[in-house]
Amino acid sequence: MSTQISSPPTPPTPKSEPQASPTAGRWLGYLGLLGPAGIWLGLLLVLPTLVLFELSLVPGLEPGGLVNPSGLENYLRVFEPVNLLVMKRSLFFAGGTTVICLLLGFPVAYWIALLAPTKWRNLLLVGFVLPLWTSSLLRTYAWITILRYSGVLNTLLTSPNPWLSNLGLPTIPRLELLNDWPAVLIGMSYGYLPYMVLILYASLEKLDRRLLEAASDLGANPIQTFCQVTVPQTMPGIAAASLLVFITGLGDFVDPELLGGDSTMTISRLIYNQFLKTNQWGFGSALSMVLIMLVSIAIALLLKFGDRSAAS
Amino acid sequence: MTNDLRLSQFYPTRRRFLKTAAAAVSGLALSSCGWTLAQVRPKPPSNKKTGANKKLYIYTWSSYTDEDLLKSFTKETGIEVIVAVYDSNETMLAKIQIGGGADYSIIYPSDYMVRQMRDKGLLLELDQDRLIGLDNLLPQFQNPVYDPGNSYSVPLSWGTTGLIYNSKTLKQAPEDWDYLWEQQQVLSRRITLLDDVREVMGATLRMLGYSYNSQDPAQLEQAYKKLVSLKPTIASFSTDTWKEQILAGDLLVSMGYSADAVEVAKENPSLQYAIPRSGTSLWTDTMIIPASAPNRDAAYDWINFMLQPAVAAQVCERLNFATPNQVAIKQLPPKVSENLSLFPKESVLEKCERIIPLGKFNQVYDRYWTQLTSS
Repeated sequence: MSTQISSPPTPPTPKSEPQASPTAGRWLGYLGLLGPAGIWLGLLLVLPTLVLFELSLVPGLEPGGLVNPSGLENYLRVFEPVNLLVMKRSLFFAGGTTVICLLLGFPVAYWIALLAPTKWRNLLLVGFVLPLWTSSLLRTYAWITILRYSGVLNTLLTSPNPWLSNLGLPTIPRLELLNDWPAVLIGMSYGYLPYMVLILYASLEKLDRRLLEAASDLGANPIQTFCQVTVPQTMPGIAAASLLVFITGLGDFVDPELLGGDSTMTISRLIYNQFLKTNQWGFGSALSMVLIMLVSIAIALLLKFGDRSAAS
Repeated sequence: MTNDLRLSQFYPTRRRFLKTAAAAVSGLALSSCGWTLAQVRPKPPSNKKTGANKKLYIYTWSSYTDEDLLKSFTKETGIEVIVAVYDSNETMLAKIQIGGGADYSIIYPSDYMVRQMRDKGLLLELDQDRLIGLDNLLPQFQNPVYDPGNSYSVPLSWGTTGLIYNSKTLKQAPEDWDYLWEQQQVLSRRITLLDDVREVMGATLRMLGYSYNSQDPAQLEQAYKKLVSLKPTIASFSTDTWKEQILAGDLLVSMGYSADAVEVAKENPSLQYAIPRSGTSLWTDTMIIPASAPNRDAAYDWINFMLQPAVAAQVCERLNFATPNQVAIKQLPPKVSENLSLFPKESVLEKCERIIPLGKFNQVYDRYWTQLTSS
């Protein structure tokens, strides 16, 4: 991921000799533009990643230890069953969040982009993005107060309910959501929904409405129109939004850590523990490299599907 | 990999770049033939006029200082104090090892961590002539096992680890660690254990009749299996966050330190503290000066300030931790000095053990811990 961002644009190959020097000049000019950001990325992203890679090759490295790359033991440890379980769980959280966000976000984006009055659109979007103006940590703590055993949600659910008692139904039991996987999914989905909606909105806004009209003129019912016209047209947006949510979710630390309790160890929590609890820096680095690889694969998919849609 | 291959179609030089990068890394590795992370180490203590530096940086547990304490120190010495907090010894160690040792003049490690840090050469050997009031400490703290003669550390507080429970909602009060297993039905998902491998494994070992410092793999395996069977009952492993949760009524039992137990009991008297019958861990938190500490004079001033019986007594009463200062204990109101959670009877303490660092064997504990917390 890192190298791809920072690799400078390739100079176009000069077709003939005389043209070589102006091209080179322009190339240098471009480099100047790249300058500050390039140095930033190089020093703070590429270099640390390379150092991390080197650390990952030192078995049993502890802080202050000798960095002498000598083997792949750390990577072998990554594939122990318990660590594979942790990675599977991370994938589950990221995937689950993506699905939930897509299911919740698409109707919202569709409504804002196609059905809401034009003058309200920007306001609605701003309203939807508004939660992002507060710290994500604060919003996660807010979820704790909502989901906890004696929290807002349980108080509402267990408060005497005339509707239920009139019908002779028992009261709703307290939900044990916090400190388990449902809380993590709720927290993550809530956190990433605005991103999903924003990207989907951008994609739906560009939707060619004449095609929708044509579809209904030709006798397609709304469901057919949606499945065969709207969704295929917005596929790049769906792919981009889903992958963005997935990638961010894969590395999420705050939600599993604060909402997940004892049974939701994810790869980012495990990495944190290696560096700050058990002082296994070599293994922690190997885990980080694996996470970078997983994210790279997701980004490769993003580029691939983005390209195809652009071509078609 | 797929990423790299694919992109190479677009950027022909990319592959070359990667090769170069790889060569550069291995070159770096080979030429230096092993660099140490410690090269990014603390600067040696600045020899600037110490008087000019009127700031003292302290790295401590969250519950060990308050505004009043800092103000009274500043009033007495003119030195401004800046406090940073940590929630586990290991987190603190990691930060110090990557160079944070030059950022702080005073750190509060626990007993076993003092030994570990001393062995790694991270501590300054204290100049005993500059310490005033060490002889006020209780005899057992004058020459502790973890740091003979207090040559690197000064004990600040001590206590036990036990179970804090809500005596109103629980019909039966816990008396021993096995309570957690016996009452799994009642406690389901409403208990927390400390986020500390040695405390949790140690308590389980102790319950099974072994030592907190067992180095027998079979015993560890047995304790690990016991904990796995308890896991569905545990809400989370937490060192600090349980306090607020048990006060809100979300939890029924929490494993915690005696100092925290006294703190929550002040807010809600039905939260009581039980020291398990089969024994528990005995801990001491200390003050040390890192080897690379800036402003050592101020650090000595701080230690001496904390050693003053009047200060120790006030802090003990206000911040709820047991002081090892026997002169201070005499100055405490009976309500505090007779609090059995803070100052348990000798017969109870006899059964307690200190956690000692186990060197390489710590990794075995860590493995079981990762297994337990990851599954």
